[in-house]
Amino acid sequence: MNIYTKTTNLPLPSMNQILVFIVLALICGIGLSFGLHTMIVGHHHTFGTTREVPWGLLITPYVFFACLATGLCIISTLGQVFGLTTFKPLVTRTVFLAIVAMAAGLMCITLELESPWRVVFYAWFSPQPFSNIWWKTAIYSCSLVLMICNFMMLLTRRHKAAKGFALVAFLLLTAGNLNMNSDMGLLGERGFWSDNYMPIYFLSLSIMTGCAAILLLNWLAYKFNNDSSNAEHDRAYHATAKLFLVLLLGLAYFSIVKIMGGYFPRFAKNPEAMALLVKGDFALNFWIGEICLTVLLPITLYFLAKGKKLAVLALAGLSCLIGTFVLYYDLVIVGQLVPHFHQYHVVDLPQYYAYTPSLHEIMISVGSIFFFLTAFIFGEMLFKKIFAN
Amino acid sequence: MRNIRFNSMRNEGVESLASVDRRQFMKFGLAITGVFLGGSVLSITSAANAYGAPFNEPVRPAQFPYSPHYTMVIQQNNCIDCELCLEACRNINGVPIYGSRTSILELSIPSAQGQQARSFMPILCNQCNEPHCVRVCPTGATYKETSNGIVLMNQQKCIGCKTCMAACPYNARYFKEEDRAIDKCNFCFDTKLKTSGGKATACSAACPAKVRVFGDLTDPNTPAYKLIHTPGNEFWVLRPEAGTLPNIFYMNKAEADA
Repeated sequence: MNIYTKTTNLPLPSMNQILVFIVLALICGIGLSFGLHTMIVGHHHTFGTTREVPWGLLITPYVFFACLATGLCIISTLGQVFGLTTFKPLVTRTVFLAIVAMAAGLMCITLELESPWRVVFYAWFSPQPFSNIWWKTAIYSCSLVLMICNFMMLLTRRHKAAKGFALVAFLLLTAGNLNMNSDMGLLGERGFWSDNYMPIYFLSLSIMTGCAAILLLNWLAYKFNNDSSNAEHDRAYHATAKLFLVLLLGLAYFSIVKIMGGYFPRFAKNPEAMALLVKGDFALNFWIGEICLTVLLPITLYFLAKGKKLAVLALAGLSCLIGTFVLYYDLVIVGQLVPHFHQYHVVDLPQYYAYTPSLHEIMISVGSIFFFLTAFIFGEMLFKKIFAN
Repeated sequence: MRNIRFNSMRNEGVESLASVDRRQFMKFGLAITGVFLGGSVLSITSAANAYGAPFNEPVRPAQFPYSPHYTMVIQQNNCIDCELCLEACRNINGVPIYGSRTSILELSIPSAQGQQARSFMPILCNQCNEPHCVRVCPTGATYKETSNGIVLMNQQKCIGCKTCMAACPYNARYFKEEDRAIDKCNFCFDTKLKTSGGKATACSAACPAKVRVFGDLTDPNTPAYKLIHTPGNEFWVLRPEAGTLPNIFYMNKAEADA
């Protein structure tokens, strides 16, 4: 009732805002209808995945949104759990964004499964405790519920309860994020994943994308609401931008390690995959996406903005988010492209397996991204006053 | 005298060795360690009085975790790629045309004389003792049967995440659309193995060249057991670096016997 009263007291959105919401929701609906079609006819007919490359494009938005939610949750705890007052003005919107990101990720992975309806029963009644996938899904589902509770407590100003929920969600999501490495590293004994995507890398990436999303989406929120930030919010953005810069520099180090792995095989456990990434067919993704968009351009923009101008920082955030999406795509796909028996002198075995995303995979990914944007706009229409305070 | 720093040297693997060298290397490895490249030869060395070379320690007698412990020996140089095994597998196990439980790879291995040695290598699920597919499955849809060590599928539980396909180092799994679940070789557990009283699989029964020799590691009367325990026979497993401890053993039959 308290939430109802608070939300119904808010001003109604303008027609333009409703129009933006409808357009985004329509694109989301079109994308997700491809997912529904796939669920009915089967991946065999609609996906570009194969026996050799069983994981396709759809793992990318899942990993992206799950890591983004983790990063956002961690940043929100800086203000509401660890008591860093500078970050406090960001807490409510950041928790909301974390919820939306996690929902988008889980929706995407659901559509990636061939028989998702079996999850409902067997994930509960036939769990396999040694499976990283099971733990990850369980952790992410639990943390989604916890973050929703956290958000509701924030709306009703029960800060002590909110802090408790946030702390548990933070611990769970950090564990889930560190689990990502084991999850990928075990697959097919492909050194690419265990070698180059260590837990600290995943955690840094998650917080970095969280910072990028905060910088971008808060600026978008101001534009959408025709509003402007106050001094407290400005301080919070500047602090977030500084954290963003530190993590970008950290990522630059990891990128150098990757480059060395690509050019000097002795630095990599799976030199074939690293060579494919750094100087092979994925080189454009790597140099444009992972190096320029993820690292170089955001660092340049940060210094151009002197860490202050929100519009430029938002652009840096957008660039970083696009680049990170490409990075996750490379992470998922390149690791699978080295043939299983490449050392056995097999006749007519390609040097690398091939994979191209199908229209359905692309549209479902677009649907999940627009689901995130639609929910973000919906949140702005509904909670903008609460976010502003 | 120059010091050689063995610890810093890179393992080049056995794949790049010429076949003659490789055989010598295998003998060397077997003699010294009793373990060949991660595929535990302890499980196929039952001679209690065998001694390891460097420390003069007795090799432990065979310890079989399963009884029966089903295995298959592939006599690789006997294979002529007639594909009767694949056909039998399809017919008996209802494998659709777009999938396969087993396949045959054609190899062209550089020989010591600068020539290419052609051979065919049948591939199937290795029924590993440390199966990655079982480890990653979130719902236990794929599991190691405790009575005989076969890696089985419970299709009802499969959610289609395909993590097991990504995790299998042998590319031995495919998604069967009709069942909306993963399908794989199960040594014909529910078909030929049952009807033959545990003596044969569809592929082993169909093979005219005795390439696929099925058997039980705990039963001295099975052909596979006899092959494994024949002195002088050398075996290897696929992708030992994966650490899966496979139960499919490869060998080349001596030319005089072939």
